[in-house]
Amino acid sequence: MAHAYWEMCNWEYRNLRMFLPMLTSVLVLQGAGLVLGIGLFFHHIPPSAALYVATGVPVLNLLTLGLIFEPQIVADRRAEGSYEFLRSMPVPRSMMMLAWYTVSLVPSLPALVLSLVVAVARYHLHLAVSPAIIPAIVATSLTGTLLGYALAHGIPSPMVTRLASTTLIFILFGFSPIMFPASQLPAWLVSANRWLPFGSMATIIRSALVHGLATPAGAGRAYVTVCAWGALAALVSARVVRHRR
Amino acid sequence: MSAVSTAAGAAGAAGATAGGLSLEVRHGPRHWLGSYVAMLRFDLAAQRTWLPMFLVMQVMFGTGMAIIYGFYIGHMPVSAALFIVSGAPALAVITTGMVGVPTMVGERKMSGSWDFIWSLPVPRSASVASTFTVYTVLTIPGIVVTLLFASWRYGLHLHPNPSVVPAFVLASLMATSVGFGMAQAIRSPFVTNVIVNVLIFVVLLFSPVVFPISQLPGWLAEVHRILPIYHLAQVLRASVTTGLVSGLALSYAVLIAWTVAGWAAAAWVIGRRH
Repeated sequence: MAHAYWEMCNWEYRNLRMFLPMLTSVLVLQGAGLVLGIGLFFHHIPPSAALYVATGVPVLNLLTLGLIFEPQIVADRRAEGSYEFLRSMPVPRSMMMLAWYTVSLVPSLPALVLSLVVAVARYHLHLAVSPAIIPAIVATSLTGTLLGYALAHGIPSPMVTRLASTTLIFILFGFSPIMFPASQLPAWLVSANRWLPFGSMATIIRSALVHGLATPAGAGRAYVTVCAWGALAALVSARVVRHRR
Repeated sequence: MSAVSTAAGAAGAAGATAGGLSLEVRHGPRHWLGSYVAMLRFDLAAQRTWLPMFLVMQVMFGTGMAIIYGFYIGHMPVSAALFIVSGAPALAVITTGMVGVPTMVGERKMSGSWDFIWSLPVPRSASVASTFTVYTVLTIPGIVVTLLFASWRYGLHLHPNPSVVPAFVLASLMATSVGFGMAQAIRSPFVTNVIVNVLIFVVLLFSPVVFPISQLPGWLAEVHRILPIYHLAQVLRASVTTGLVSGLALSYAVLIAWTVAGWAAAAWVIGRRH
């Protein structure tokens, strides 16, 4: 198993190595751009709004590659035929998924760190980074990647995949309380977001970066929501990739 | 008589006939107009499935962004809401002209449709004019619907004045022309795609469309006084509000200049032979 995992990590890394510098730059620019750009919406950005932006952008850094790009990468692989080649390899499918997760984390982490650095420098914030940031990053990125994996392998049509990615971008940026407080959304969207994973991902990342923005009970509930979505996505992925044609 | 010499004869003496076939070179305004109408029919028929999707996309993008900006800002004074509402149609126009049109041009490039279109026996200017007409006309309902939705969302009453007609037409024409010119002038569809994606990011975060230009750092404000995005928003805003916009003549002039630049880029590319 460990050997298969290592081999697949190697394969994914070599497959992506031409794009890794570009992907890393895109994620870094996206993170820094969001941190700086959202500040322009305000005449003088209130400190609380700046704190939400600073602690919300890392969530997007962690989700972009696994959730948004992955379905498109798989759609490309389907088109060029390497998807079938990968499925024919004598490697456990779970190890393939884990290897993809590991490699997809590589460009996301520097982007996350840089987004935080830019936010602290631009808005003069004081973050209180706790060790809980490690499980928060793992839960957020793993669930995001599993959701992307389930979408990528579950939807055969590239057109539908692209539509799903675009819809997800809109949901993430506009309709999930990631970079702004949930209280600024209408009540029905707040209720919907209590059951969706993205707002909860922001809650757990936020609770590990600053004091006072999330209660321990709220963070606990958010962990349960995120892990439940991760488990569901893992089940769907397992069902889809095990399916023989 | 061989085909070569027939062609040479036709080129040498327009109006000659060979074997009862008229080899007259067609030209003049009547021929151009006929070609333009034929190309309009061609464009509408060829894109009949894509055009409604395009309209829905721009309305969703314009109204969606108007709603989303509100979530980010939270409680806001009426003046800020008015900026968002009057800026939303600019987002819809930019989506159609500078994202939708380059995507369409890129897809036609990849499928080889342009080579087919240029081979048709119509003046190329008629083909391009038809494309501009279709997308300009299609953008205008997008502007109206986005304005209605956004003003309803924020409970505002807009005050349209007679300048809505030139404002809507010029804004749509400018965006279509620049999008078309850019996508034709840049050879690789991949590069066009990258530019379009960067453009979306720049328009949504770093452009004074839904907030005043005074909120930008000085250097960025200067850049926006040359680019068309800010002026497009100003022209549209002035047509539905009073007292928010100054220096309108300059904005119109900048938009006209960009429209002409778009036409020049398009003419330079399509006037060449492979």
